[in-house]
Amino acid sequence: MAIFTIDDVEKTFKNGDVSEKILKGVDLDLNEGEITALVGPSGSGKSTILTIAAGLQKATGGQVLFEGKDMTQMSQEEIRKIRSSEFGFVFQSSHLVPFLTVEDQLLLMLDVAETKLNKKQQKQEVLKVLDLVGMSHRKDAYPSSLSGGEKQRVAIARAIIHQPKMLFADEPTASLDSKRSKEVMEIIRNLTKTLQITTLMVTHDEEMLPYADRIVTMKDGLID
Amino acid sequence: MQMAWKEVKKSKMKFLILGSIIFLVSFLTFIISGLANGLSEDNAALIKNVPNGKFYLNEDAKQTYSLSKIDVDQQDNLLADYNGATAMSIQMGFVNDAEDKQHSVAFVTSTDSELFPNVKDNEVVLDASLKDEGIKVGDILTNNQFSGEFKVVGFAEKQTYSHAPVAFISMKNYQEIYRVMEMQTVFIPGSDSPDSIKGLESFTNKEFLNTIPSYGAEQMSLNMIIWFLVVISGMLFAIFFYMMNVQKIGLYGILKAIGVKTSSLFSMMWYQMLLITVVSLVLSVGLSQLFSMVAPAGMPFSLPIETTLLLSVVFLVIGFIGATISGFQIKKVEPLQAIQQGEM
Ligand SMILES: Nc1ncnc2c1ncn2[C@@H]1O[C@H](COP(=O)(O)OP(=O)(O)O)[C@@H](O)[C@H]1O
Ligand SMILES: [Mg+2]
Repeated sequence: MAIFTIDDVEKTFKNGDVSEKILKGVDLDLNEGEITALVGPSGSGKSTILTIAAGLQKATGGQVLFEGKDMTQMSQEEIRKIRSSEFGFVFQSSHLVPFLTVEDQLLLMLDVAETKLNKKQQKQEVLKVLDLVGMSHRKDAYPSSLSGGEKQRVAIARAIIHQPKMLFADEPTASLDSKRSKEVMEIIRNLTKTLQITTLMVTHDEEMLPYADRIVTMKDGLID
Repeated sequence: MQMAWKEVKKSKMKFLILGSIIFLVSFLTFIISGLANGLSEDNAALIKNVPNGKFYLNEDAKQTYSLSKIDVDQQDNLLADYNGATAMSIQMGFVNDAEDKQHSVAFVTSTDSELFPNVKDNEVVLDASLKDEGIKVGDILTNNQFSGEFKVVGFAEKQTYSHAPVAFISMKNYQEIYRVMEMQTVFIPGSDSPDSIKGLESFTNKEFLNTIPSYGAEQMSLNMIIWFLVVISGMLFAIFFYMMNVQKIGLYGILKAIGVKTSSLFSMMWYQMLLITVVSLVLSVGLSQLFSMVAPAGMPFSLPIETTLLLSVVFLVIGFIGATISGFQIKKVEPLQAIQQGEM
């Protein structure tokens, strides 16, 4: 049973008088707990469909159903609530908050998601998740003192600490070397399997494909 | 807001710079405000010390007290009709001491009143500042228009007019020096003093102060500087937070993407603005009060704590407005832009 359904989604960008249809009716079902890898040539619309699914931009046609509810019909505030408590994000850059320590990044996410944990439980949860990504020894470090791989581990920890139902990842390993990429993918796979998180991941790296349950190819704004 | 505080802690330098600018501008404002107030006291303490009420000048006097003459019968009627009413006159002049040294004074005379010292003929009560010029109780002073001599019988605290110390003398002596029988103005204390009396024009205490020629001009220019500084500090806030927000557009986008409310981002900015402003203001209020205590005696400086507190509130409001205007950018930030912009 699909927890997430992308149904005939279209996206047209207007630039003055010129309008360009980037997505031409994308259909995609995501099954609960599965990792779906989205591959395809650059410019085929992978990031666009991912960000529409994640509620970060609006489709110009079609439906996006999360647990049966159509997100294209929701208000900004409803979508924000879903993003904060049900979704997690990992991008090519880690996008950590520069003035927060690793621990504080994760505490912030727990606050934003409005989890019902008290302060002490929150701290325990943070340590637990940092252990899972192998970063508990750097909990007091600021992002500027972390390596690229370490930052990405923290970003993954931030994306899953509030136990979201969905994880959206856009080329999460693109800035890492082959060894670090595999470590990061290992972590993503372990975490999403343990926590039963449904994952949609864009990648152009063949080496990452073995970590996915399903591979979907995009071409020219359509699923091949 | 924890995040706000953590940013201040991490970016100490940035916030220290803003804080010190706010401190300097507000401190300068307080000092100028103290000078304005000090000059105003120095100029017109005589009038400022009088309780609220109304001054009446002759309608033909063109709002100039020195040209005003109150009809003697009308004056008698007013003094009889209104409790606490006083007729008074003020003229600038000189007294000479025993060594023939000239001291500039404002001669003031009044009918029997609780507001001003009542002096007998050939006696004078002087503003205490003349003590510093070596005049003592018992000294004899003269005036070239006056046939007799004044004996100093006492001093009054803070009685100045038009930047000169006041000399209270009797009505008879005053009339001889200035060769007038009429008084210049009648003062009726209290809020029930009538707005109009036939043939007379009424002035509130504040309006009467502005009939002193130097007073209005002096206060206006100083007040102008004060409000300029207040507006400048508001603009500084706006500019500073604008620059800070521009730097953080990417961060705001990411925070929005993970679900942080726009209102929380605004609260974060307001919290920082409040923190910096309050700390800077506490310092400048403290320092300006300290300055007020150690200001040289000759310097007309008076800074009541109420004035600094009032100005502080104005600074806070202005800072809030400045920060909020610059914060409209936060509202416009699209989470997507930030994600596509790469590493911050
Ligand atoms: N905001 C936008 N405005 C106009 N064109 C856009 C915008 N975002 C993406 N595009 C265009 O849409 C196409 C698909 O982009 P994208 O989804 O990022 O591709 P991919 O991630 O597969 O490389 C590209 O040609 C890109 O130029
Ligand atoms: Mg892309």
